Amino acid sequence: MTTATPAVHRRRVPRIETQAVLCTVVLGIVAFCVVFPVLLVMLQSFQVAPPGQPAKYGLDGWRAAFDEPGLRAALLNTLKVTFVRQLLSLPLAVLIAWLLARTDLPGRRWLEFAFWAAFFLPSFTVTLSWILLLDPEYGLINTSLARLVGTAPFNIYSFWGIVWVHVLTGSLTVKVILLTPAFRHMNASFEEASRVAGASTLRTALRITVPVMAPVILSVLLLGTMVSLQTFEVEQVLGLPFRFFVFSTMIYDLLVTRVPRYDAATALAVVILAAMLPLVLAQQWLTRGRRYTTLTGQFQNQPHRLGRWRAPALALVLALVSIVLGVPVVFALLGTFMKLFGFFHIADPWTLNNWKTVLTDELFLRSLHNTVVLAVGTAVAAVVVHSLIAYIAVRTRYAGRRALDFISWLPFTVPGIILGLALLWLFLGVEMLKPLYGTTTLLIVAGVIAGMPLGVQIIKSGLLQLGSELEEASRIAGASWWATYRRIVLRLMAPTLMAVAMITFVGAARNIGNFALLTTSANRPLSILQIDYIAQRKFEEAVVVACIIMFISLAGALLARLLGLRSGLG
Amino acid sequence: MVLRLDGVTKVFGAVRALDGASLEVERGEIFTLLGPSGCGKTTTLRLVAGLEHPDAGEIALRGRVVASVPRRVFVAPHKRNLGMVFQSYAIWPHMNVFENVAYPLRLRGVKRSVVAEKVTRVLDLVGLAGLDERGATLLSGGQMQRLALCRALVYEPDLLLLDEPFSNLDAKLREQMRVELKVLQRRLGVTVLFVTHDQIEALSLSDRIAVMQRGRVEQVGAPRELYERPASAFVRDFLGQTVVLRGVVREPGPRGGTITVALDGALAGSMLRGHAGPAAALAAGAPAHLAIRPENIEVAGDGRSTPEANTLTGTIDALLFVGDRYEARVVLGGEQRILMLLPRAREWHEGQRLQLTFPPQTVSVWPA
Repeated sequence: MTTATPAVHRRRVPRIETQAVLCTVVLGIVAFCVVFPVLLVMLQSFQVAPPGQPAKYGLDGWRAAFDEPGLRAALLNTLKVTFVRQLLSLPLAVLIAWLLARTDLPGRRWLEFAFWAAFFLPSFTVTLSWILLLDPEYGLINTSLARLVGTAPFNIYSFWGIVWVHVLTGSLTVKVILLTPAFRHMNASFEEASRVAGASTLRTALRITVPVMAPVILSVLLLGTMVSLQTFEVEQVLGLPFRFFVFSTMIYDLLVTRVPRYDAATALAVVILAAMLPLVLAQQWLTRGRRYTTLTGQFQNQPHRLGRWRAPALALVLALVSIVLGVPVVFALLGTFMKLFGFFHIADPWTLNNWKTVLTDELFLRSLHNTVVLAVGTAVAAVVVHSLIAYIAVRTRYAGRRALDFISWLPFTVPGIILGLALLWLFLGVEMLKPLYGTTTLLIVAGVIAGMPLGVQIIKSGLLQLGSELEEASRIAGASWWATYRRIVLRLMAPTLMAVAMITFVGAARNIGNFALLTTSANRPLSILQIDYIAQRKFEEAVVVACIIMFISLAGALLARLLGLRSGLG
Repeated sequence: MVLRLDGVTKVFGAVRALDGASLEVERGEIFTLLGPSGCGKTTTLRLVAGLEHPDAGEIALRGRVVASVPRRVFVAPHKRNLGMVFQSYAIWPHMNVFENVAYPLRLRGVKRSVVAEKVTRVLDLVGLAGLDERGATLLSGGQMQRLALCRALVYEPDLLLLDEPFSNLDAKLREQMRVELKVLQRRLGVTVLFVTHDQIEALSLSDRIAVMQRGRVEQVGAPRELYERPASAFVRDFLGQTVVLRGVVREPGPRGGTITVALDGALAGSMLRGHAGPAAALAAGAPAHLAIRPENIEVAGDGRSTPEANTLTGTIDALLFVGDRYEARVVLGGEQRILMLLPRAREWHEGQRLQLTFPPQTVSVWPA
């Protein structure tokens, strides 16, 4: 062929194709649902007029928030609880993750799953079962000890009681399930080189494994700190009886008084947000450009032999599993069969009536229906939204991809209760969206937003492990961007996406903070029903509902695990 | 002409991965981009594939502009009708062998019966017949390689792109696949753009090679032409082994004739004659490099010197038996070390003195 002037297929501004349009639409929707409410919260903190009166702007809210006598205490309490939780849980979690991932601990796959299941336990349910054991007057451990040695030493309604429940619910399990896969994926040659150079197993673990994993451990620590700053249910149940407030319960307190102090509550929320942002940025900086390399058969890691430490290590891990998983499940279940919640010593304490009452309650059946619709809807919507965000952030050159990535973290920085409030304002404030108030759709939106940081993160790491050549091969074979996304990316990511679906399903089933202010009697799910039962002092009914939520969660955990979710950091 | 690159530039951050590269690939040839890592060869391939957007210049496939910065044209990769074999093969693990190969045909709306026929034919061609139903992840490295090739060839692309396709295979299999690929290409007549950093692969497979360095094309030519008449010191040293000795021009000699160079350093006092390299004429007194391929150096084992021949004496410093011959490091004048290839037919030992003859027609003289 001669060099004739080549035929030009003119396509103006070619890079603005369907892909860029789609990216912009996603960014727009996500920004509207996440950034806008956050801005509303900031704005609202300066709106000082009481509810129902014309808006007036000033600094009263901020002044009130900082003059409030309990504030300093709440701030200190938040920091204290957060610090002690991390201090206790991190070394323990690193030890367990190392045992599960890099040694010949017997049954380590099952033990890992036990921690995985424990992570899914609703903290509300766990709190209730520990009350059964550690209530200063009626708690089973206390009454037993009183009979044996004459003192009842434990009080769950205390700082250490709160820390205890926290370490066992969130702090420890989340770290173990994130760290274990990371330890497993670590290149074994670092350790092998150390062993060959003459170091013992312990020395290798301390001098090589932990330092090599330092960025991952730090990143898990940051995540744990962010989760700690968020907590609500445990302090609400255990802290209120002795007037112990942290930031989130303080905000709730300001919102549920007779005349809600939206200005002061939102001012506090902005303080939390300001404290969280550096943590999010640090977290993103730590995980930047991490090489998520998939493990192949070639680098099969040889587990360390624990030798004579095998039995003690197994005993330690088994003890922890029974505390984090066994105790809550057994005692929550026991609690449902009690005539009077927590009263083991009365004559004939057992009954089936609680289950009968709840299961025949019209209110319960409606809530169960709502929860099922809500959880399934959230799971489906979350998979679509989270995977699109993750894909755009990881795989495209779209200009707004970093912004999108950052926005996906934002829900983490706002207390759930405040996010719920902001969404309430959004949906009541925008005329078009008003009909959604009181519907399950509104709760689904809240659920998708609440699950966004974790969901996007998991899908992102899955995509990074996928390797982009699989997609590029499809593009060159003749598939458009959209066809490649459907026929290659979604298919290959199916297990990860199903796992994210299960996680958001469980999250929506047990979420309290985000839904508390968004529910009406029409769309009330089970998680709010249990709170309402508590408010009416119906502990027996509450624990039945809590138990049902727990079993839904455990089923979800099992399914997600069977679908092969192994994602962690690193 | 199948492919034309015209002043194509690609910048990543502060790095000019490709810096105004121009190339033309003719129909039916195997054209190789060869260079050290980071020279821009893979970037070039990805630009041709449409996986990257150029920052300047124009790319045309079969006379159709597919990417052009001045004309604001960019054709998406799936509309370029190219085939590509990736370094990792990129075999889709959720499809079996048949589905992997059928995928591009289905995207083109080929009828079901025709798909089956074409897939069978191409699998047969590379010796994968009967593996249709095998899961793609259950294949060996060599089979994956062949499958990737099938998938790229089945829809008869205008140009086949190969991105270091042999680098994940072991040495034996690599040699075998090299031969198979060449035979297959000759049979199908498909045009191939091949990227590699392995000079043996490039020299043995290619019809023409473009040697690249720092985002630029250093020289384009047939393998023998590049090997025997490199246009620059980089090409000379990158392709094959080269012995380089330093010195000063003593007698420039007539154009095209021999040049006499007085050696420096430990070899001061010795003279060697060679012919002029591709550069401009060298004046007397100018510093110069003498270059010769090790296989062109002739050895007389007894170390006797004959002054009129172009010779130096040396001592074997280290002797390596590599199977078909010996490789030896030889010390000249007590300091300069050069690589030598010695035939297996004779006995050699470390410490042996050698008389080395440098035939003037194989010695080239370059400006230092």
